[in-house]
Amino acid sequence: VNRPFDQEAAGDAKGVLALARLLDSGFERIEPPILQPAAVFVDLAGEELRSKLYLTSDASGAELCLRPEYTIPVCRAYLASPLAGKEAQYSCLGPVFRARVGASGESIQGNLESFGREDFEAADAEILAVAIEAAEAAGAGALRTRIGDAGLFDSVLHALDLPEVWLRRLRRGLARGRSLGDVLADAGNGSGADQSGVLAALERADHVGARALVEDLLSIAGIASVGGRSVGEIADRFLEQAAIRAEDGVPKKKRLILQKFLAIVGDPDSAALQLRKLAAEAKLDIAAALDALDQRIGFLAARGMKVEDFTFATAFVRDIDYYTGFVFEAHDPRRADGKPTIAGGRYDRLARRLGASADIPAVGAAIWIDRLDPQTGEGRTQ
Amino acid sequence: MTANGVAEGALVLAVPSKGRLQENAAAFFARAGLEFVQGRGARDYRGAIADLAGVEVAFLSASEIVGQLASGAAHLGVTGEDLVREQIADADQRLALLAPLGFGKANVVVAAPRAWIDVRSMADLEDVAATFHARRGERMRVATKYVNLTRRFFAEHGVSEYRIVESLGATEGAPAAGGAELIVDITTTGATLAANALKTLDDGVILRSQANLVASLTAAWTPAVRQIARTMLLRISAAEEGRQSREVRARLPSQTGALIEQAGALFGARAAHGEAPDASDLIAFHCPKEKVADLADWLLDAGADRVSVSALEHVFSARNTLYEALSARIDS
Repeated sequence: VNRPFDQEAAGDAKGVLALARLLDSGFERIEPPILQPAAVFVDLAGEELRSKLYLTSDASGAELCLRPEYTIPVCRAYLASPLAGKEAQYSCLGPVFRARVGASGESIQGNLESFGREDFEAADAEILAVAIEAAEAAGAGALRTRIGDAGLFDSVLHALDLPEVWLRRLRRGLARGRSLGDVLADAGNGSGADQSGVLAALERADHVGARALVEDLLSIAGIASVGGRSVGEIADRFLEQAAIRAEDGVPKKKRLILQKFLAIVGDPDSAALQLRKLAAEAKLDIAAALDALDQRIGFLAARGMKVEDFTFATAFVRDIDYYTGFVFEAHDPRRADGKPTIAGGRYDRLARRLGASADIPAVGAAIWIDRLDPQTGEGRTQ
Repeated sequence: MTANGVAEGALVLAVPSKGRLQENAAAFFARAGLEFVQGRGARDYRGAIADLAGVEVAFLSASEIVGQLASGAAHLGVTGEDLVREQIADADQRLALLAPLGFGKANVVVAAPRAWIDVRSMADLEDVAATFHARRGERMRVATKYVNLTRRFFAEHGVSEYRIVESLGATEGAPAAGGAELIVDITTTGATLAANALKTLDDGVILRSQANLVASLTAAWTPAVRQIARTMLLRISAAEEGRQSREVRARLPSQTGALIEQAGALFGARAAHGEAPDASDLIAFHCPKEKVADLADWLLDAGADRVSVSALEHVFSARNTLYEALSARIDS
């Protein structure tokens, strides 16, 4: 049921125009509560988000916050509804709250979220297309759209058969804007040299052997309690480091392939061509991910999007672990602060992180209504 | 008097109301000839300074002092840098740390269980935190009362996969009690950490804190209040300079000008009363106390026969550096 829209509460006319477009596209309006349990956001997005939360508590002392965004509240509402696990698509428009220095912490966001669709690439394309259409309906200027694919990134790393530790580090490092060289230059740890003896001893050890060694080391040092991590976990980390040390980091050949992969950027079609060429040269088995990429571009073009103007960047990933595939951002080039007007992506892992028994396909986007006009500042003031 | 009992136009000096910090602060001001007098017995929370009119001494808890300085309710205060950095996000805009006072020293550190023999640096911690999160779907917990310092420091080191558990006492016991995996806490000797089977990470010192003389930049600095501050800070500068330096006297061969210049460059010493030797042909230096022995050695090499060193009670200087620093910040 589309509730009557309270224009005053939700902000301005631009938001209304964007929402109308979302409703027309079949995204049913829901408005999750403004007050949300704070722990959910901190668990999922990390401690750095907490400093931006407006925190409060209820009468029982439970920690609550004003919603800092829509995706998690909408996903929670969806999981609590009878439609959980089935297809559903929602839109919202209203205030979200993030503390900012020198600006109001309240800003208006419009969101669209799609759950349960098994035709991933079509759903991906629809979300980005509708988000751009809604922003345009609300008066956005020409936006520059950048797309990436966390799934492709992961499959290249898997195809290279790199240990889990590198996969994690690369994804995290790139999302933070570090260069490949910087990330790969990190030694096994910050103090590898000090422990080279232990690591050398462990080079041919297995988990059981490593565990026994760590137990011995602890007992020699007179440390009885471990706390937090098990002896097995400490042993495994030593093994991981020993492996990295033995290979002297990432082997040069794989490093070169990674370098070539991450350098690929351009319009989606030429990027896809380069990727296929690299996959053939380096014998990477990433055909499924490349097919998905082509299909997604095809669907976007079929929806009338000017995909040739998009930029596809292999190195564009997000540092939020529930993003699993397609990611995108659209910027208004007239904005001096470089902040996106639209951002979103595929987050199949979120439902399980919120308590569902299995992953549920999900893709969504947020539109910052306040950023539609490049002249206005951030947030609302009283 | 205004509603909250502050004398109109007075300079409000906020000092700790209890414990070692209070004793040290009182001794510090007394050394500068600024003795606190507490009204109506030791339980009164407002006082004055014995021979300097126009100062209202507010006895407060250390964390309240930061709040009062930040809001401008107090002009000057004594508090730990750790609390300033923790409580005030834009501390350098709202407060001026005028001088470290040499007491209340403690480090805010990141400490992990000693059993984590594979973790020695923040880079290790970042790696371990990410694995911990990936394996368990839960973030590593950090117990601390320094929520903001922790966030800033962890962000600087790229550690993101953790969660803060606020702890308002006995933080060092949290890992053993299962309430957290590691802690960020204050330590002076490290003995408490060791007793709880914890170790500081090699690059895990967030802040080397000590008590500071702190000025509020948001308080009402009227001309009258500034005049009082000038007097107080002159006395404090004199006492501090006296405490931190020694007078070094020696009879030197001629051409002392070049020697004085070199003594300044090498040891931070300066000619106490001009470059000309006094009536008995002695030249006097004021020298930072930790450099005194080196300076004496050097003077002997330069031809002095004997070098005498004596303590200084007060060194009043034409340049009131503390007040100049305050004044520059208030006016900027």
